[in-house]
Amino acid sequence: MSKAIEYTYFPGCMIPFRLPHFELTMREVLSRLNIELVADEGHSCCPEPTTFTGVDFEAWLTVGARNIAVSESTGRDTMALCSGCFHTLAMVGHTLQSDSKTRERINKRLKRIGMEATGEVTVKNILHVLHEDVGLDKIRKSIVQPLKDISIAAHYGCHLVRPIEATHMDDAEDPMWMEDLIEVTGAKPVDYPDKMACCGAPISPSDEPKSFVLAADKLRKIRDAGADAIVLVCPTCYTQMEMQQKKAIEHLGPEFSLPVLYLGEMMALAMGMSDLVVNNARRYHRVKLQPLLEKMGVGK
Amino acid sequence: MNIDSLNTSRFLRNDFKPRLARCELIAVTPTSISSDLEFRNWILKQPEGETLLRCYQCGRCTSACPIAEIDHSFNPRLFLEKVILADESLAENQLIWTCLTCEQCEVRCPEHVKIPQILILAKVRGLVSGNTPETALDRARSILSQGRTIQVSEPMLKTRDKMGLPSLGNPPVKQLAKALKELGLAEKLENIKSIYGGDGDE
Ligand code: SF4
Ligand code: SF4
Repeated sequence: MSKAIEYTYFPGCMIPFRLPHFELTMREVLSRLNIELVADEGHSCCPEPTTFTGVDFEAWLTVGARNIAVSESTGRDTMALCSGCFHTLAMVGHTLQSDSKTRERINKRLKRIGMEATGEVTVKNILHVLHEDVGLDKIRKSIVQPLKDISIAAHYGCHLVRPIEATHMDDAEDPMWMEDLIEVTGAKPVDYPDKMACCGAPISPSDEPKSFVLAADKLRKIRDAGADAIVLVCPTCYTQMEMQQKKAIEHLGPEFSLPVLYLGEMMALAMGMSDLVVNNARRYHRVKLQPLLEKMGVGK
Repeated sequence: MNIDSLNTSRFLRNDFKPRLARCELIAVTPTSISSDLEFRNWILKQPEGETLLRCYQCGRCTSACPIAEIDHSFNPRLFLEKVILADESLAENQLIWTCLTCEQCEVRCPEHVKIPQILILAKVRGLVSGNTPETALDRARSILSQGRTIQVSEPMLKTRDKMGLPSLGNPPVKQLAKALKELGLAEKLENIKSIYGGDGDE
């Protein structure tokens, strides 16, 4: 096999330490596609875009720009698995590029630590890498266990997609890259009302009940559209819609249960690496995966 | 003359959605009004802050906003009105922290006003008065002291090891502190008391 294509991997905080099965499954999936993720110990928290911005926006820009500078020094494209990290790096990069006054101000601070950020590094999310860089044809060839008879709804979340001038996704209101990936695995993508609605997680620090109202609404709409499962990318959305699902849907009735898969898990299943998913299901999934896996013919 | 009541009547006549009209009545009852040009000028100088000037108060943002849908006192159009009128009371309003930063408003705004960004700037101004959820303060303190939002524990490192995932090292916190020094954030965080109460979730 030819030499693997390398990306600088931006790990952030949530995925590597709270939800490492995200990193595990996606690293294995990417390795099948001849891609290697190389971490750089110089990176820190991105910083996360939903609360730190509102504490000190200048500090957010500065720490983000330092991470960009670290990325630029690696000479590779940077890929963040987490939507929050991706959003911060894409936004800060975009700001550095398009706003010269801000760039100069921030770089004065970075100069004190011997660094400089131009914002010219390419920051990607996992959909850019899979859908655009690798391409659907190549992924299709690696599918050995098609997820036949399974309907899956894509949840994009907000920060992966918007604002489009910084994220360079396909569409701000109706992105389709994840549906394309669902289709390639052999499953059926399910459309549902208000696909781009937020999971609610960003406001759980200030108003948890409201954040759950939004999550429940989203989960109900997806179930009503006939999906067997949800697939998503963001660890914060996952925490809200998977780990907290039971709390969020209390008023929807006890029989409600909608499995949530991380994109890497869905792809690992279709690539015949179901062990990776099954072995970590108990620890990282609160919603039972068993019925879904049985329907897929896994673990029989 | 009460600035807010003036504008309430003006927009009551213009708003065609009954839901919006109700919001105005609920939301516009401030106990004190401070008109502070310094506040507005500061916002205008921040990144994307000057997009505020493009807002012509059409209310599309409010129609698109999922929080306005479930809480009629949350009204992004009205929030922008307050900033336009240099009313800094917005910075102390807890409602701004229920903005999801989802940008549903922004994609629908005919003038591409950076609405969530302007609300973020209002949040920044609210820090001194403690209008910052405890969780947000905890995360900020953790970012400054460890370079990460969460405490990395031994079991977490062991799990990574067992999974065969590479070590990620420790973020260079001294370097972070040096780059951030002039902002004085660390000192600010020592003295702020959140009006939200609770210990946060981290
Ligand atoms: S949609 Fe845009 S122009 Fe209309 S009120 Fe909202 S911010 Fe102002
Ligand atoms: S970003 Fe904030 S104001 Fe805009 S639609 Fe979302 S919750 Fe509403």
